Amino acid sequence: MKRVLFMMAMFILAVAAPAFGAANTIVLDGSTTVGPLAKSFAAYFTKKYGVKVMVSESGSGNGAKGLINGSCDIATLSRAMKPRELSAAKAKGISPVQHIVALDGIAMVVHPGNPVKNLTKAQIAAIYTGRFTNWKEVGGPNAKIVVIQRESNSGTQEAFKELVMGKTAQISKDAETQASNGAIKNRVASTRSAIGFLGLGFVDRSVKPVAVNGVLPSVATVKSGSYPVSRPLYFYTAGQPTGTLKKFVDLPKTVDGKRIVSELGFVVK
Amino acid sequence: MNVGTRKILNRSFTAVGIGSIVVMGIALLIVIVPIIYNGVGAVFFTGTIEHRNMLYNEFGEGDEAELAKQNAAAGVYRKEVYAMLAGFEAELEAMESERQQEFRSKYGSVRNALTALMGPLPGDTGAMLTRFKYGQTRWEKAEEKLHEFLYEAKWDYSDPDAMAKEYYVSRAAEFEGTSLVKIFPYVEKHLEEIMRPEFTIYLGFLTDSSVDSHIFGGIWPEIQGTFFLAIGAMLFAFPLGVIAAVYFTEYAREGLFTSMLRSANSTLAGVPSIVFGLFGLAFFINTLGVSESKSVLAGSLTLAIMILPTIIRAAEEAILSVPRTYKEASLSLGSTKWNTIMTVILPAALPGIITGGVISLGRAAGETAPIIFTAAVSVGSAIGLADVFSSPTPALSWNIYNLASEHEAAAEIRHVQYGMVLALVGIVLLLNLSAILLRARISKKLKG
Repeated sequence: MKRVLFMMAMFILAVAAPAFGAANTIVLDGSTTVGPLAKSFAAYFTKKYGVKVMVSESGSGNGAKGLINGSCDIATLSRAMKPRELSAAKAKGISPVQHIVALDGIAMVVHPGNPVKNLTKAQIAAIYTGRFTNWKEVGGPNAKIVVIQRESNSGTQEAFKELVMGKTAQISKDAETQASNGAIKNRVASTRSAIGFLGLGFVDRSVKPVAVNGVLPSVATVKSGSYPVSRPLYFYTAGQPTGTLKKFVDLPKTVDGKRIVSELGFVVK
Repeated sequence: MNVGTRKILNRSFTAVGIGSIVVMGIALLIVIVPIIYNGVGAVFFTGTIEHRNMLYNEFGEGDEAELAKQNAAAGVYRKEVYAMLAGFEAELEAMESERQQEFRSKYGSVRNALTALMGPLPGDTGAMLTRFKYGQTRWEKAEEKLHEFLYEAKWDYSDPDAMAKEYYVSRAAEFEGTSLVKIFPYVEKHLEEIMRPEFTIYLGFLTDSSVDSHIFGGIWPEIQGTFFLAIGAMLFAFPLGVIAAVYFTEYAREGLFTSMLRSANSTLAGVPSIVFGLFGLAFFINTLGVSESKSVLAGSLTLAIMILPTIIRAAEEAILSVPRTYKEASLSLGSTKWNTIMTVILPAALPGIITGGVISLGRAAGETAPIIFTAAVSVGSAIGLADVFSSPTPALSWNIYNLASEHEAAAEIRHVQYGMVLALVGIVLLLNLSAILLRARISKKLKG
């Protein structure tokens, strides 16, 4: 009995012992679109300065809430903070400061087998409001369109609505909801008649981006502004950052930071 | 009912019983076998020289001299490949502009496919992200990438009324008549020499930190986080649960109040875990402010509340199953009630209490929902014991979900995900096994 207890104690100690100290951590929370950037910056920052950085991806809305509640140091958002969030922050005595990390295009993606190459904004809006329900109506094969959207918490969803459909438009009730960029990619890659939207950095061979108003999403077209569905990605801090936090927020402006941004398929601001 | 029908009913019930056990067994096999098979693949696999280079550069593991020798041997074949690329690039420069245009983009995708297979090529600018610094670290992935290098996937859009079908075009055919055509059979033939596959046992998968958000490296921060959360939850829930059970069984008077408490406890046991997660965020972090942000402490408290009802129930049952005569004998010797509980009842009930506790420990280790808002992050380093009050942590359950859905390269790192699943199943199994052993040991001791 004693030996067992002793062994258990030793085991717990062995699990717990390494890495005492180093209490200084930076906590990031928010957008799944900014996730890959935040994670790569975190790895780079930890390696270079020895400061621990924790990243979670629970959606832009939760990131903003986290910053207001003080549960994270940096909120990563794929949209600008809303007036409602700003006033909630003010009520708590926090003045959020915006930092642009990168630019990102929202790519409209379909299954690679879908012959549709181009959609106009109006067509996309019609698909998402439920007016078009068959690919035939936009020049594709005769197949029912499976419309996929993000959850209400998503900044990409809000940016998409604002840029493509107009603020007041309602997305059809038949649209299916997925909780992250990765989940939309998986769903579209495995569903022949699906359409969804993704941050540019998530697009790979498993899905096919379609041109919007004749422009394909790419680093070049987002940078030049000719791709119509693009938006900046943000870090938000509570007040002007100082010390290590400032160093982290300024990463996207450094040479190495810019390289990380472009290697991940995002667009350097 | 006559004897005949009764017999038939009896037999058919036996058959249904055996049938359901068989179904359960098959279901268990279908679930467990892929988990074990794929999960073991995270530690035991055929690794390429890229894996050994990565280990040496990122973790300083491996024999430098041996590695240099292997790199030199692989380098002989790699140089051939590089020379072919250089040869074609020179040829490309000399082409007339129209042909050059045509080949340039095709050549770009060849180069990309080759980089994905064997790592950065000469002339590439050095990558910042670790994931682009190495080629394929696993042999089965390397073979996949070889296929992508040899064949280009295209979609047949000729019929506008139907969804297209995928077909493959040999890249060699596309470069017919140029010097690059040699490179395809060469890489195919010498892939083993270029990548040097070797059977690898990567125990570091369990003890290393992840590199570049789980693309390489191990899952130690997740394992550690899971232990911290589960043990933390136990530290709060176990004493509270046992005390509550003692109160229910020994002190509480049967009445409306007690029965209400009992049914409240049972209801709590059935509350979905996401509700506990939100409660934890609202109560522990926002109202009580036990920590500024998500933290192991807040997560442990939330998990503790979740497992508390189970512990109370198990402890109550264990205490009730202690024979009355023990208690009566103790009291008749003049012992006080408190003394009786501490020295007679609790020790006798200990095996049952511990079993309940450890089963709850397993549940705490495996739950995702309560820690989403209170403790878990998708990427982070292992935290020290001093940080549990202020730092959130990665944890197996949450990271499995994250890798399955949110990760940008989820399809490339399925083995890590399976490895995490197996580690989690292993931890829970280990906890349950230790409960059984501990229980057996204590029972034996009690019997004398």
